[in-house]
Parts: sequence; C-alpha cells; structure tokens
Amino acid sequence: MELNEKYLAELKKSFIQEQTRRHFIKGSFLGLGGLAMGSILGSCKNPISANYASTLNPFALKPPHFVPKAKSVIYLHMAGAPSQLELFDYKPELIKMDGQLCPPSYLEGKKFAFIRGVPKMLGTTAKFKQYGQSGAWISNYLPHLQTIADELCILKSVTTDQFNHAPAQLMMHTGGARLGRPSMGSWATYGLGTENQDLPAFVVLTSGGNNPDAGKSVWGSGFLPSVYQGVQCRSAGDPVLFLQDPPSISRDLRKSSIDAINQINQLEYAEQGDPETLSRIQQYELAYRMQISVPEVMDIKSEPQYIHDMYGTNPGKATFANNALLARKLVESGVRYVQLFDWGWDTHGNVAEGSIDVGLVNKCRQIDKSITALILDLKQRGLLDSTLLVWGGEFGRTPMAENREGVANAFKGRDHHAEAFTMFMAGGGIKKGTTYGETDEIGYTVTKGRLNPHDIQATILNQLGFDHEKFTYEFQGRPYRLTDVEGKVINDILA
Amino acid sequence: MANSMLKYFKPLTISFISISIIAVVAFNYLGTKSKSDYNTQVKPIINRKCIACHGGVKKQGGFSFLFEDEAKAKLKSGKYAIVPFKPNESELIARINSKDDEERMPHNHNPLSKDEISVFTQWIKQGAPWGIHWAYETVKQPEIPGIHSDWAKNNIDKYVLQNLKKESYTPSSSASAPILARRAALDIIGFQAPDSITLDFTQNPSDKTYEEFIDKLLSSPHYGEKWTSMWLDLARYADTKGYEKDANRSIWKYKNWLINAFNDDMPYDQFLKEQIAGDLIPNATDEELLATAFNRNTMTNDEGGTDNEEFRTAAVIDRVNTTWQTLMGTTFACVQCHSHPYDPFKHEDYYKFMAYFNNTRDADTEEEYPWLRHFKPEQKRSLDSLTEWLSNKISAEEVKSVETFIKTLGPSFYSMECDQYVNSSLIDTKWLSLRENGSVRMPQVPLDNNDQLVLTYQPYVKSGYVQFRLGELNGPIIAEIKWNKPMKGWNKIAIPLKTILGRQDVYITLVNGDIVNKDAPAVLFNWFHFTKKFPGTGDKEYLFYEKKYWDLLNAETVYTPILMENPKPYSRTTQVFERGNWLVKSDTVSPGLPEIFNHGSIKNPKSRMDLAEWMTAADNPLTARVIVNRFWEQIWGTGLVETLEDFGSQGANPKNQELLDYLAYHFIYTHHWSLKALLKEILMSATYRQDSKMTAEARKKDLFNELLARGPRVRLSAEQIRDQTLAACGLIDSIYEGPPVMPYQPEGVWESPYNSRKWVKSKGKNQYLRSLYTFWKRTAAYPSMTNFDATGREVCVARRIRTNTPLQALTILNDSVYIDLASQLVKASEASSPEATISKAYHLVTGKDIDDTRMQLLRKLYYESYIHFLRSDQIIGTTKTKALNLVANTILNLDEVITKS
Repeated sequence: MELNEKYLAELKKSFIQEQTRRHFIKGSFLGLGGLAMGSILGSCKNPISANYASTLNPFALKPPHFVPKAKSVIYLHMAGAPSQLELFDYKPELIKMDGQLCPPSYLEGKKFAFIRGVPKMLGTTAKFKQYGQSGAWISNYLPHLQTIADELCILKSVTTDQFNHAPAQLMMHTGGARLGRPSMGSWATYGLGTENQDLPAFVVLTSGGNNPDAGKSVWGSGFLPSVYQGVQCRSAGDPVLFLQDPPSISRDLRKSSIDAINQINQLEYAEQGDPETLSRIQQYELAYRMQISVPEVMDIKSEPQYIHDMYGTNPGKATFANNALLARKLVESGVRYVQLFDWGWDTHGNVAEGSIDVGLVNKCRQIDKSITALILDLKQRGLLDSTLLVWGGEFGRTPMAENREGVANAFKGRDHHAEAFTMFMAGGGIKKGTTYGETDEIGYTVTKGRLNPHDIQATILNQLGFDHEKFTYEFQGRPYRLTDVEGKVINDILA
Repeated sequence: MANSMLKYFKPLTISFISISIIAVVAFNYLGTKSKSDYNTQVKPIINRKCIACHGGVKKQGGFSFLFEDEAKAKLKSGKYAIVPFKPNESELIARINSKDDEERMPHNHNPLSKDEISVFTQWIKQGAPWGIHWAYETVKQPEIPGIHSDWAKNNIDKYVLQNLKKESYTPSSSASAPILARRAALDIIGFQAPDSITLDFTQNPSDKTYEEFIDKLLSSPHYGEKWTSMWLDLARYADTKGYEKDANRSIWKYKNWLINAFNDDMPYDQFLKEQIAGDLIPNATDEELLATAFNRNTMTNDEGGTDNEEFRTAAVIDRVNTTWQTLMGTTFACVQCHSHPYDPFKHEDYYKFMAYFNNTRDADTEEEYPWLRHFKPEQKRSLDSLTEWLSNKISAEEVKSVETFIKTLGPSFYSMECDQYVNSSLIDTKWLSLRENGSVRMPQVPLDNNDQLVLTYQPYVKSGYVQFRLGELNGPIIAEIKWNKPMKGWNKIAIPLKTILGRQDVYITLVNGDIVNKDAPAVLFNWFHFTKKFPGTGDKEYLFYEKKYWDLLNAETVYTPILMENPKPYSRTTQVFERGNWLVKSDTVSPGLPEIFNHGSIKNPKSRMDLAEWMTAADNPLTARVIVNRFWEQIWGTGLVETLEDFGSQGANPKNQELLDYLAYHFIYTHHWSLKALLKEILMSATYRQDSKMTAEARKKDLFNELLARGPRVRLSAEQIRDQTLAACGLIDSIYEGPPVMPYQPEGVWESPYNSRKWVKSKGKNQYLRSLYTFWKRTAAYPSMTNFDATGREVCVARRIRTNTPLQALTILNDSVYIDLASQLVKASEASSPEATISKAYHLVTGKDIDDTRMQLLRKLYYESYIHFLRSDQIIGTTKTKALNLVANTILNLDEVITKS
C-alpha cells in the first residue's frame, strides 16, 4: 500500500490539486459525504485525478471517458512534409498548367517560405490511377499501398497554420506551434496508462538520419510529469540509452549488484521510513526487467524470413522498414503509443535528393512496402481493429514550383504549403476504403471538409476513448488540452 | 462528518486534501455566519463556480467578477449584480437562489450550497468589501511569535513551533553531525565537502562549530556554482539557439557572471536590476552589459523561410513571461490572448508590460547581434588608449558611441530589415543578396547628419559597383562601394556618406559588376552602422589610431549577445495583439503596469530601468516573497508556496504565510537582499537541523512534511548526482571559465537537421568539470541529466518536478560516465584491503562511516564478483579492481547516496 504512495501522491498533489478540486466539486451530486471510490470513478472527467488505482503507478491502466475503439496508436510522421500532389491528390488541371506563370490571383496576399515573385506552375510527373473498390487515387510512387487502398481512410483536406517545419511539427503533435506543450503520446499515456509495465508506454523510433526538425520536443511531456515523455528506442546501438550493462558485467553480476542496492535500500527504508525509497527499490527491479524485455522486443532478427521479406527490413540499421516492423512488435507487446519519424521529405527542388521526381521517389520506395506490410501484418494478427495507424507530414507542398530567392530552382520541387495536404489513417475504428475532403482543381486550397491538426488530434483521442474537450490538465492557471480551443472529431470517418 | 472524512482521506492521497479543505471551509461558513471574508471565503467560490463565465475570458450578461468596478457596474439588463449592503436588491443573490433552471446561476450546473449562498449574502450585507489577494499586498513587518523554547535557534523556529503546537506535534531530534554536514554541504556548495572541511564540526559538534562550518561553505567559490545551476533553469540558459537547426550560441560568459555574482553575494535587488536593465545603467560597465544576457537566452530561429519579426516577437514575449513567472511568481502568459481568467490583469496589461521589453536592438538575426565583445587585456588597453586619444578630438558622447560600436557592433541596421526586393532577396531569410540589377529599400534609416557608413558585405563576383540612393530608386547618390578584386567572407568597410538630416529611406542598387550568372547572388550585405567619420585627419597620430580602430573592429573575440536599448531612430511602438495573434495588431500602448501594482513607492515606471527599480523596490509584494520561497524550495524540496510559479489566486495557498512573510521582510530589511544571509538564516535554524527520519505516524499525518516537524529529505538534482561523485573522486577543481564542455555521451543523441555539429568528448580534465559546464543543447539535452528531470530549457523552467523512474536506475548503473567515475572512486579510496577501500568509498560519498550490515552486503558482492572475474578473466591483477569498481558503482546507486537526508 505504501509502495509508491508518496511519489504518486506527490505527483497528484503537484499537478492535479486544482483540477481535482474543480472536477470533484463540479460533480457535487455526490455531496461531500458521498465521496467513495466507485462514485469517483463514475464521475471521472480526468482519469488520473479520479482513479485512485492510478496512484499506485503512473502507468497503471486507467479508464478513459468512454469505451475506446483503439487500444494503441502507431503514428508515422514523414518529417519534411511529403507532397500530396505526387502521392494522393491527383490534379490533371495542374498538369495542363505545367510551366505557365502562376496566375496572380493565387499569389495575392499569400506568404511563402521560399517562393518569391511569380513562380511557375508545376504539374506532377507521377502517374495516378484509382484502386480498390473504393476507387482511391494513389500514384505509382506507392505501388504497394495501391494494393491495400480499401484498408485506408484518405484525408485530402488537411490544413495547418504553420509553414515552417519545426512549428508545424509541434502543431501536429502537441497542438501548439511553440515549444512547451505535451505531445499526443504523452497525453495518451497520461490518460490511459499502459498494458505492459516492463516496456515504455510511449516509444519513439526515428529513421532518415536526423531527428525531426522540432527535436525531441515533438515527443516531450511539456507540462505533464516527465515520466510521460516518449522514450526514444534505437534500432542501432543501445535500444534505450543506458540499457545495456557494461561489457564485463554479466546478468548474474547485475542481478547481484541490484540485489545489494535493494537490500541496502531496504535498510535505509527501515531506518529513515521514506516511502520514496520503496519506490526506488521498485524502479531498480523494473530496470532489471526492462533490460530483458526491451532488447527482446527490439530484436527483429528473431522474426521469420517471410516477415522480413514482407517489410523489406535490414536488421541492425536505423531504417524505416525496421522501425515499421518494430512498431508492430511493440504494439503487440502492449505499448500504448508508437511514434515513427522518418526524415528527408522536404522536396524543395534545390538538390536532387530534395526533388519531387528523384528524391521523393526514393523516399517513397523506403516506406511504401513496409507501411503496406505493417497494415497487412497487423490485420493478420487481429491487431488492426485495435490499433489506429496515422500517416502524414506537417504540411503540404505548393502547386507552384519553388523559385528560391526569386530564381527557378535547379530541380523540380515545391515550397511549403499550409493550406492543403493529405494524410491517411487505417484500423482503430476508422472507416476503411474512404476518401474524405476535396481540394480545388490544382490542389491549392481545400474546397470541402476542411480539417486542421486539432481535428486530427480530436479524432485520435476520440478513438482512444477521450472527449478531447474534457481531457484537460491544469497549468499556468488554466486548464490546457491537446486541442487548445479548437478541434472537432471527424465523425464521417468513424466506422 | 467532514472532519472524519478528512482523517480518513488525508493519509491516502493529497488530492483529497483539497476536498478536505473545502469541507473545513464549509464548516467554517456554518460557524461564522456573522462575517464573510473576501479572500478566504468569497473569492474561492467565485474562482470555482462563477469565473469561467464571468471573468477575464467570458463576460456573460455583461457581468465579470474580476475587477471590483466591473462587478459592481450596471448589467446589460439594467440591474446590478451586487448592490452593497442590500442583498435583496442584488441580482446575484436573486439568481443563485432562483428556482427557475433557466435563471438560476451557476447556469447549467448544480446550484450553490446553502453555505455558499450564505457566504455571498453575508458578504453583500457587509457592503461587499473587495479584498486584495494576499500575494499582491506589500509584505508587512511581521510579529514574531512570542514563544519561548529551548529548542528554537532563531525566529524561523518560532513560526514552525507555533504551527506544530496547534497540531500538538513536536519537532524531531537533531540530525547527527555527519548527516547534517552532508546536508548543509549539498545545499551550499552542491556536493559532500571533504573531511578537511567537515572535521572541526563533525568531531566536535556545537552551535559554534556548526556556524563556522556553514561560514566556510558559504565562502567557498563552489557556492556560486551550485546556485548558478539553479538560476540557469530560470534564465532558460542553453548553449544552442533552439528551433530546427538548434545551432550553437556563445553565451557561456553569462554563466561566469552568475557564478561571480553569487560568490560576491551581490544583493539580489542589484542582481535583478543588472540582468533586467544593466545596459541602461549610466556608463554601464562590461559586467553590467554582460548581465543582460539573461534575456538573450531566448531562442533564435535560423530555419530558412521563417519570418524574422515573428520570432523576434516570440523572444520578447518569452522575456515578459519569464519575468513574471520566475521572478514574480505570476502566470501572465494567459493574458497574451485575453484578460486573466482569475487574477486582476487585463488583456491590454500584457502589451503595456511587453512595451518595456519591445524596444531593444536585437532581432532574429543569425549572429544574434548586438554583442558584448570580450577583449583580451592588450586589446582592452588598446581600446583605452584609443578612447583617450579620441576624447581630445570629439565630444564625450561621440567617444562613447565609437566605443559602444567597437564593443557591440551596434546599434546597427540589419539587412533583414530591408524591403522592396527587386532582383534581390533575403537569402535563407538571413542576409541581403543583390543579383544583376538588384535593388532594395532600407526603410527609414537614421542618416541623422552622419557622414560615414560602416557596413559588412561579401562580394561573390570579382568586381562590382553598389550605390546608395536617397528617398527613391533614382534619388541622389549618397554613398557608394566599388570593388575590383575577389574577396572572401564578410568584410567590414567604412564609406563616406553625404550628410542628410533625420530618418530617410535609402535604396541600395547593384549598378554593375563582373556578373557571370544573373540568377546568382553577386553581393551579400549583413549590417549597416551610420556614424561619424573617424576624426583627426591630418593629425600625425591619425593613421596609428585609425589602424587601432580597425584592428579592434576586425578582431576575432569571444562574444555574448546582450540587450541594447534602441536609440531613438530605431525605437518601436508596441501594439496589442488581438487574441494574442501577432499578425493582428490593434491599439498602440505605452509601457505600464497592471493597475493593482501601480500603488507602491514606484509608480508608472517608464523604462526598463524603472521597471527593474519597481521590481526590486522594498514594497514590491512579489519579488522578495518569490525568491525566498525559491530558496526554501531548493532546500526543502517544496516551497512554502508549493506553486513557485503561481502566487496568484489559483496557485497553492502558502503553508505558513507568516513564515514566508517573515523571511521576505527580513530578507529586504535585515539582510538587505543578501542571499547568503538568507541561506544562512535558514540553515542555522533548529528546524533545518532536525533529523529527517519519517515515523509511521509522520507518514500518516504529514507525508509531505508540511508542518516541518522533521528535516528535509529530497532526491538530489541531476547536477548534484554527478557533481558529488566528481567531488568524492577528488576531481572538482577551481571555477572553470571557458566554453561549455562535453563529457561522455552515447552516440547518436545529436541529430539536428542542417547542423553538422557533433558531440566531441572533451579531453583530459574537461571531462570532469561540474555539470553546469556541460554543453546544453535545447533539442537534445544531455540525456543522463534529462533522465533526472532536467529539461531542454526551451523556455524558463520555473520548477523541476522530481520523478522516480527505471531510466534513472539504468543511468547510474550503466552510463559510461558513472562506470568511469566508479573506477575513479576506487582509485581515490585505495586502501590496504578491499574492505577498507569499500569503507572509504562509502565515506567519501556519504560522509558517514559504513555500518556492519551494509559492509557485509557490499563485501559479499565484492567476493562474488571477484570470483566471477577470476573465472572469466583468469588474471588476478585486474580482478580485484574490477570487483571493486562494481562495488563502487553499487554504492553510487544507493538511495542514501542520491538523496539528501
């Protein structure tokens, strides 16, 4: 009973006092005398503050507001912002306009990151066709994904209000463009806890050679307790920093040293009586278990050959394919939120790797097969229904060719564009074989079903069982939510 | 009933205490029907039940509770919500009593309880007297409790005892000397002091030897390092600029400024004044200028394509929020978008306050101008002789301006401030680039009768000709540059300028040049400084001193970004941002304070300097309370006001307000803002000297030590955990003055895009410097420190929240830093037998002698691993050391080692 009591009580005390007060009092039908555990659970607006069970462990399972459709989330973020016009948003009109000067009406009052003066229109060189029963448009850049069109829910009408990478990535994952807010994975694990106590609840995997532009803040815990920040697992080197024992220390010796630490800590507790010491004993035991469970789940070599073929993995390397397979393994092992960042999608056309006809094709090749494999693999294991998969970037690309500093770029490329881009979702109680929203004839602005990052976030939280307007946290004197003061659940895409 | 609930819930979890408090308050209502107190009874109900719809954000029915004049004004309906002395005529009372669900307030919520209604009714009957929140009232001279006790060592103890008596509690016995010595050393210098310093006290404990010990620690230079570590969180200090590229920044000199200020015990009022407005002190010294780097720790965005004004504004907003949150314990950020929901701050107040900070010369430039350039002694002498020579030629004011320019490269016009680009652009949104026939406007630059333009440019073509034209593209030429040989990198030159009055537009055009590619930049410009010609042409020493001037200007120096107030021609106006959106500007505002703070000895501060004076005035209600509370928190783990960042009506109530006010009052009037004196007073108290042991009863009744009936027990900070290990190994040396260092860090932590900087392990001694000298990268902070709750410091960290996680265990168990330090500890503990080594190592980190049970456990581990290594390695020579290293690492992981008790 005492175990962790102080730590958690302190956690609660530090953060939730005000909120608790407000929420508890609001549910005043209970009256003061009526405060009993069952009724508290019943009146729960904020899982951690209301669920007494959670006080034993910050990651103990907690019930959300209503029965969730999805248990876990795999969020695939293509950092740099992939071009919707080359992948999903087919615009024959734009192809016709290719090479023409951009009509002034598109430029009036607009501000771009790099386009200056009057740029030229840029039609796609990708080949589009409709696929599946749903007839979804998917380009030849994504030949594998074409085969599972009917599993996807394609959102063509996403917008944002940020056109620089770092703020736009923060907007996508933390609901605010500035640093300091908790990321979606932190909210999810704070609200729900996790099923496997021997693994981190919120795992981040990166590929493409760089961290995302906004750095670790896109998986930071902001003002939530730091236990809720994403744990970066690595497919090369130590899977979690400091996980591996030094070379000369065998498992037996590690066990002996942790035993010695914990025995002395028991003495310390007997002498000093601080429950925090008991909590520390538990953390050392957990650390020892993690040293076994994390490498196990992070080791993809043990997977059968057909799985490797399916994903196109390359064990030992920090590739997207490896991370996709790891995402499946993690979700299968009860990890709540898996966040993948793949870097290298910024196709300005200033270099060949950053062009829509060379670099983008290569990037697509790196992810197409493995995302398709991931969706099929989750499906064959019966996990797709309970796993929400989200794919997207931080904004879209312009229908105009970029002309950096007012001069045409050396390769075909597009500037940052906040007013229209495409994302897709699969599984997790989302309607499959759907396309939602439309853009105008050149894919410049949204004409139907306009969405913003807060709508995406509201929908993800909804699938996890949360009413995003009620899922709040008190900070700096006001209740904060992931979706700030906006966000509507996209009801049309719920299965 | 309510009391029994309290007893039942309190030991379970503190969240219920808030309920219990309300229960108790409710109880009081019943008992004290005769009088309602605004602050303790009325305002809490308003905050809980009413203010969401009738406050700073929404004003349903035209009614708001936030300000007295609003609350007592006529409603949209023509009625009055509050008619003092007349509850029957007050709409508020009618509405909370209404039986009609549509009418009854709180709307769509459960009705107020009978007690709550009676609080309101009674209060209006009393005339609805408004109250000022406790933290906004000036600290009054406190009455020291008339308690006589042998236990009490100073006045702090009397306040504590007074509280304990109320709860029929008694203080704990005094902690043993070794424990107390370690506790005090951790609190003053940040690590266990060596025996040579502790022995006089630990072998002969008395009030006198204890005081001498405390004094010794306070005079140690390591005191400054320890408290600088704390301040760096508030200053959001980092060695990188943040955002996407998160490139390196040179600002470490500020850290040394802090260390010196703490060590010199600079009075806290001066300490703040120099950091907020050091540049505005008449004839500011270099040290005073350096202090203003406090507010240059804001982030700078180097990402291409970003709007520089947006990020300049973001930095200014950060300065406002940091000032309020960390220095004055007030949540002000919400006022950016709307009036404060709970506290008496209007939306406009935010921008009035921002106006104090909105007029500095820094912008979102790549180079982070203006700088304080740190000259070497011979360069300083050179500058002195130059200014002396100049003072015989030109006015003192003009000499000052030359000196300022040499030292700061300012005030200058930045190329990013240009507009009307034709065949030109702000390359990577950083520097002005002109192509063939390129032109650009410099809007309203200060020509002001200046006759020289110093600028930095970088030609990309072999030869070229650039003209500066007045007023329009084909206006008169007022300056020109020609070059006819290839140049590399940035060049500074001075060109003659036609003397023109006032501020004017100037157009820069590239007339011709040896242009190969018309689409490529032909020349880049960075900054422009309008000034007077170097004086004394004809003087026989002219050439000598002119060369000195250019040598100094071109010298490569260490530099620090600082604040520099805009001279008149560059001054900015400040406008309110509609709903916080910096693109939608409305009314222009002048600098000013929220009304509630405008009644003290300093009213209507006009400048940043005045503002600093107001903040540090003896009657400022917040500044002293906030800092003494912060020191208290550093020592006890929790502040007397738990929410260090929020002293407002939604923050935590002070646990012992009389004690807080006593400390604040004496900090100002007795200690004259001396932080060392404050620290000493706390450490000399009997309260501090208590044993920290927690009995079963204490766990039940006072888990969080709110009554202070035992000594502090807190897990060490990330910095302390590493520093105390360094100290135990004898590795801590004198104060370090130099760029940040890089101890071991695993591969692959630094991976910022467009940033080729690598973590390169520092050599030799520099690996073992105290943690505050470790390179702090915002987007990828040093991982072993973040595991112990340090943050990236993107913005100020008003309070670190301690956690207890398996990643912390893994860090000390496996981080190569701790593996290495464990072996260093073994070396430092070398002795005749393994047991003696273990015993010494344990003593070095804990200051205690090891007891038999612990020794047995560690000895067992030693022999077990000895046998293991013997079997695996087959070499006796290293076996002993390897086994001892493991034992030493085990010691470093002990709860008693990473906890201050």
